[in-house]
Parts: sequence; C-alpha cells; structure tokens
Amino acid sequence: MKQYVIVGSSAAGIAAAETIRKTDKASKIVMLSDEDYFSYCRCLISYYLAGEINEEGISYREQNFFKDNNIELLLNKKVTRVDPKKNKITCQDKTQVGYDALLIATGAHPKFPEISGIKKKSVFGFRTIKDAKDIAGLLPVTKTACILGGGLIGLKAAYALRKRNIEVKVIIKSGQVLSQMLSPEAAHLVQQKLEQNGIELILGQDVAEVIGDGAELKAVKLESGKAIGCSLVVVGKGVEPNIDLIKDTEIKVNEGIVSNDLLQTTVPNIYVAGDACESFDITLGQAAVNALWPIAVEQGKIAGANMAAGNIRYEGSLGINSIDFFGLPVVSLGIYRINAQGAKNIEELKTSNAKENIYKRLLLKDNLLIGAILAGDIKTSGIFLRVIREKINVSPFKDKLLSPNFGYPDIMDFVKDKERIYV
Amino acid sequence: MKKLYYDVKKCLGCKSCEMACAITHSISGDLAKAIKEGKISLPRKKILLSKDKNYPIACIHCKDPKCVDACIASALVYDKEKGMVIQDEKKCVGCWMCVMVCPYGAIRPNLRAKVPVRCDLCKDKDKPSCVIACPTHAIIYEEDKSPHPLKTNGLGVKKEGAG
Repeated sequence: MKQYVIVGSSAAGIAAAETIRKTDKASKIVMLSDEDYFSYCRCLISYYLAGEINEEGISYREQNFFKDNNIELLLNKKVTRVDPKKNKITCQDKTQVGYDALLIATGAHPKFPEISGIKKKSVFGFRTIKDAKDIAGLLPVTKTACILGGGLIGLKAAYALRKRNIEVKVIIKSGQVLSQMLSPEAAHLVQQKLEQNGIELILGQDVAEVIGDGAELKAVKLESGKAIGCSLVVVGKGVEPNIDLIKDTEIKVNEGIVSNDLLQTTVPNIYVAGDACESFDITLGQAAVNALWPIAVEQGKIAGANMAAGNIRYEGSLGINSIDFFGLPVVSLGIYRINAQGAKNIEELKTSNAKENIYKRLLLKDNLLIGAILAGDIKTSGIFLRVIREKINVSPFKDKLLSPNFGYPDIMDFVKDKERIYV
Repeated sequence: MKKLYYDVKKCLGCKSCEMACAITHSISGDLAKAIKEGKISLPRKKILLSKDKNYPIACIHCKDPKCVDACIASALVYDKEKGMVIQDEKKCVGCWMCVMVCPYGAIRPNLRAKVPVRCDLCKDKDKPSCVIACPTHAIIYEEDKSPHPLKTNGLGVKKEGAG
C-alpha cells in the first residue's frame, strides 16, 4: 500500500488519479485543491460567462467520481510547502500529509502587468470559476469592459462579454491578435470576425495605467495617453506556473518545474504535470512550458502511470490550440513564427481563399512538419498533428499536404501504429 | 464488438456510403427533405483519393481515444462495453479539440451546427447504413479481431522495450 498525494484537481491531477486507479485499486490517493469546486474544466468558463452553458455544464467529472475512485478530495486547501526530505506536504492551515509519491499539478495563475491601479476592484483575471462568477455578477451594472491582452484568454473573455451585450474593447500590445499562436494573416481573419461581431480591437498599444477613485475603477489609460472609460477590466496577459510550494527545495525550476521524460522532477518520487510542468517540446527541440488542457491530460496520464510503478516515457509536448470565434475555426500546432536566423532552413507552404475565410500555412524543416496554422478549414489538423508528433517525412506526399483531399490514406504507410482498417 | 473495414480493391469511390450516412443522420431521414433542413446533415464518412485508390475514412473508435482525453466539455466518453466513443452533443461547446487531435482525421467539424460529426456505427440499426448502401460490398462490418492499440500500454505511448 502506497500513499499518493496529488496537488491540484484539474486536468493533470484528475488524469493522474484515474490512471493510478487503473493498476492500483487499493492504495490511498489524497487530492488537494485550493479552490472550492470539486471538478470543473476551466476552459469552459468563457462559455459559462457567455451564458451558453450553465454551472452544471462546466463540471469535468461527476460529483461521485471521487467516491467511486476512492480518492480523498480536500478542497480549499492551499499547499504551501513540500518537504522532499520528510516526504510530506504542508497546507496553509498547517495540515500535513505524507506521501510515497507526489504529483505537483498546481497549474498556473494569471500574470498581471505591474502598472498603477491594477489592484483596483473590478480588475479580474480569467482563470477560475470564481473569476467568471465575479465578472458575471457585475454585468448588470457594466456598460463597457476593457480586456488587456489579445491572447486566447483575452479573446475568450471578449467573446463571452460581447455575447452578454457588453461593449468590449480589447487592448493589444502586439500588432495582431493571438500573436503567440497565429501568423499575421491568420490573425487578420480572426480580427475581422471579432470586429464584425462588435468587438473593438485596439492594436499596437499597451495599457499604462488603471485609473479610478480609490478602489473604484473608472478607466484605463493607454500609453498614448488616451483614456477609455470602463467599469470592468479583464487581464489576459498570460499565465505563470504555481511553484511557490517548492521554493527553497532541491526541485529544479526554470520557466516551469523541470521534468525528465518520465515526468519526474529532480526529486524522483515527486512528479509534475500540467501548466506547472516544463517538458521537452518536440517542435522546438528544447524544454518549454505548454500550458494547455489536452497537454495537461496527457502528462497527467503518464505521471500517474509512472507514480504507480510504470515506466512510460513521455515523448514530449508541443503547442496545440483550437478555438472557434463566431463560426471561424482556428487551429495552431507547433511553431507559429519563424525568426530571422531560423528562416533559411524553413520551407513555407501556404494557401488562402479570402472569400471563404480559409487560410492554411505549414512550416517544414528538412521535410519534417514543425508547424501548422489553419483557419476556416481545420479538418486535416489531426493528420498534421500526427505527422508532427511522429516526425513523418513529408516528401512522398508534400504536393498534397494542402489539398482538401489530404488525409490518413496518404500517411498510413509511414505511421507508427498502423491500424487494420483496409483489407 | 463489430467494426467497419474496407476492401479498397472493391471501392469505386461512388460515395453511396457518404450519401446514405448523411441521410441516415439527417432529422427527417429522407433525402428530399434532408436537403432543406437548416443544419444540413454531413456524412460521417468520407472517401479520400490517394494514389489512384479510394479510401473510405471514418472514426474507428480507438480503444485509447485521444479525442476523449482532449474534450474540454466531457462530451466524449469511451464506452468499453460497446467499444465506441459516445458523443453527447448537448454537452459539446464546439471547440474542435477532438478534430485537432484525431490521428485519423476522422472527426469533421459541422461548422454550421457547431458540432463535430463522427461515425456512430448507426447506433440504432443492426447494420450501418453505409454497409447496406455500398453497391460493391466494399464495406465490411465484422468482429474486431486485432488487439488495439498494438504494442502499446493503453496510453498510446510505447513501453520501453516493447517496440
């Protein structure tokens, strides 16, 4: 009998617990969360805020999941310290729990810009169900909202607020939306879609200050000096891993908590998965944090299996994003931007059809696919992802990559696990 | 558990299977009426031409489905007894994560209806309608004989030394 402790009850934590239970029904699993909601998918809070789903709709596992899987769930427990020498964790309320194997699946928190007034009331991150509920509570008295940041979180918040008939202005430092996943051309299609649906985008400008009376929010001031009146601000300026609990331990941290290919930290019985995990990125060829829901699930499964005495190697993560804005689907896989030095070895394949809002761009290096951006027509994205992950040389079907007819039959002779489909 | 297999030598690429599939999954179940339905029914199977041969492609209901792992809305569940990925359209939010991770490119977005479409083996029928519609008997519906995933540990990742 072992005792497993999992800090965090979101994607990675749940996936790990489920995987542990596949092989180990008897040992104790203790899961701790600093939130008070038993299990929900934070990717859904924008749909909740938009009024497209209700509170029940955001739940990720049924309430009886924890009982059925014999998992002791402790809510509202913030773990403040890990003691690798004594194999125990300590919570803010002084509760201590010992472990044989520990998973750090603490996730991340929104980064707030260090500007004057950012701590005022009605300035929110957009990460938790609490954030969504607090924002929703203010909607009856909100006319205009400013979103800081044109990334995925900022735009999802903008979409939700627009759906609730709020006047939305998105302030974006970069010259385009989604600059961390799209090329300027693909971003242009998204921008058009957002603007057509009444979202105002202020590109190439950053916020200098949040202004108001005392704690009361009145406006945001741009670097240009122009002020925009608003009574609600949502910050979407990226996230950073929750790693305070391992401060002053021997667990190594770079951008996130460093992991090996078994998803162990530098302390072997402590594992890491999800948004706090820095893992090998197969498209970058170096370690990176890919704070994404499906990546957290796959890492959680592998960490869980290895905690339960498995020996499963993680082949690595990559940036994968899929989103739909007002009927325009967009997918981004792997590398999305070519820097000047890297450009000479990189081949770009592109097709677009402005009339139909279709844009596809692939990046190849030595005939290996390293990045794909698809807008409007995303149906081959799964095949592209497989080609990237399995490092399939595209030479035999290169001229067909952008064809609407491209698909599994073209790659099936080169895939790792060939399924019996055709006789 | 039965699965669909395809005899590529027999496939003419006539798309009778696509048509039968779209009609079966329309609201009315009738071609003439289905064409007028607002959210037009899309086939859950597509014929793709590759190296001069026709390959039907549809969800193969992987035993370690990546789409289920990626689904943010818990709209997808793998039903072990049925050997199928079950999709709850009411829960789906249309984020297209399942489309993005499908290693067979077998899940297609119905952009207008905002739901992905995938083969459900015509769940209410004895035999999928594509099997019945195929004029050359190129679509075979028979027991799954191959263990899957081959050589993997149920995580879709090869175990060390197993490959």
